[in-house]
Amino acid sequence: MRRIVITGMGGICALGQNTSDIWQAMTEGRSGIGHVHHIEAKYLRNNAIAAEISDFDPLKYIDEARVPFLDPLSQYALVAAGEAIRQSGLDFRGERAARTAIVVGVGSAGEETREGLYRQLYAENASRFHPLGIVRIMSNAPASHISMVHGITGPTFVVSSACASSNHAFAQAAMMIRAGLVDTAIAGGTEACITLGVLRAWEAMRVMAPDTCRPFSAKRRGMVLGEGSGIFVLETLESAQARGATILAELAGVGMSADAGDIAAPSEVGAATAMRLALQDAGMQPADVDYINAHGTGTAANDATETRAIHNVFGEHASRLAVTSTKPMHGHALGAAGALEMIAVLGALRDNIVPPTLNYLEPDPACDLDYVPHKARAMNVRAALSNSFAFGGLNAVVALRKP
Amino acid sequence: MSNVQQEVFEIISKQAKIDIGAIKLESTLKDLGVASLDAIEVIFDIEEHFNINLPNEEVDFESGTVGHLIEAVERQLAQKAG
Repeated sequence: MRRIVITGMGGICALGQNTSDIWQAMTEGRSGIGHVHHIEAKYLRNNAIAAEISDFDPLKYIDEARVPFLDPLSQYALVAAGEAIRQSGLDFRGERAARTAIVVGVGSAGEETREGLYRQLYAENASRFHPLGIVRIMSNAPASHISMVHGITGPTFVVSSACASSNHAFAQAAMMIRAGLVDTAIAGGTEACITLGVLRAWEAMRVMAPDTCRPFSAKRRGMVLGEGSGIFVLETLESAQARGATILAELAGVGMSADAGDIAAPSEVGAATAMRLALQDAGMQPADVDYINAHGTGTAANDATETRAIHNVFGEHASRLAVTSTKPMHGHALGAAGALEMIAVLGALRDNIVPPTLNYLEPDPACDLDYVPHKARAMNVRAALSNSFAFGGLNAVVALRKP
Repeated sequence: MSNVQQEVFEIISKQAKIDIGAIKLESTLKDLGVASLDAIEVIFDIEEHFNINLPNEEVDFESGTVGHLIEAVERQLAQKAG
């Protein structure tokens, strides 16, 4: 089987507009959660908090002629893809263009554009509809613009599985490389979901925290939304070695499952199955893993269920794992969650630092693992799992190891 | 039975598709087979019916009883009237 390595990473979220800034914030335990700039708290029951990107000027990153075609959903993806591809040192002239895939995870779509235009239509009875509505809103736009900007002509599409979208994108990209369909893939996720309509819809499900996100802690009150994008360059080990590229990590395995149960409530069996399959696919034993970047949303149900699933898969090794949720820093970026968390996992494997779980108050008997509260920990990280468990019962886990 | 109690019982009975006689003040929504999003929908129906907001702190899906829920509705109605 062809081995797959990661040779470039790019990202943008509330913590920064490139992966060095984001990773530094993660190791320092900084949170990007704060009051949403453009939505007044009075329009929400639960306080208008989120991990929002601020001071973003698309013209710093994107050609002026392209910007009018882009919802922030695509702008973020282009920022992250640009950084990842630059870092990898790849260009797509010649044969590589057609031998490269693009797979981007998106949970929703161009929500800011959609809400803006629908408000004009329904509330203001606008007689004209902006002609670029469709191309900005469509959820495949981020993948399309990456292909156009970088001249990549291989298989290109978006996958959507709510909060597991990014991890499903990594899995799909890895499978195309393994199958010999392509030698390189640009994979990750993007989301721009901090709009009044989206916040209200999440709030109505009673899963949003009014204070902040406190994964695995007693007195946790739910999740806090985030936004942004993480995009990565995947290629065969052979290709990376042949061109002397810097290898960040090996993408060793993927595991996927569906709960076939409740539309919202998580399942221990579904989560455990995805982790077990990822280990098996990577040829890893539970004891090989040092770090799990948890789904860790901060809801009562997820964190207890995920903890039980980790016990179930790892047995007595579970207590020796560092298990952290980085969502209190970058927020829950839905379709981009797994991609932002990949930055944390690659940083941990490269620098041997595990980013902390912030906002931890006190132990919850239902969550009894080592969550590395408050402060990052220096420790050897040989291999790691990155968990994503979506509403709808769709689970995807990625296993990575040091190069 | 107060009006509020009667109306809350009716909403639960409709959502859970159970006989109204099966609902007791000390039952939890879980006991009545109303879990996950169904429970959230019951709360939404109650909010719509009485035109009130039930904050998350007032709604305990794990151990809160129908009796607690009715008290919470009465508190919100009193606040609205006050």
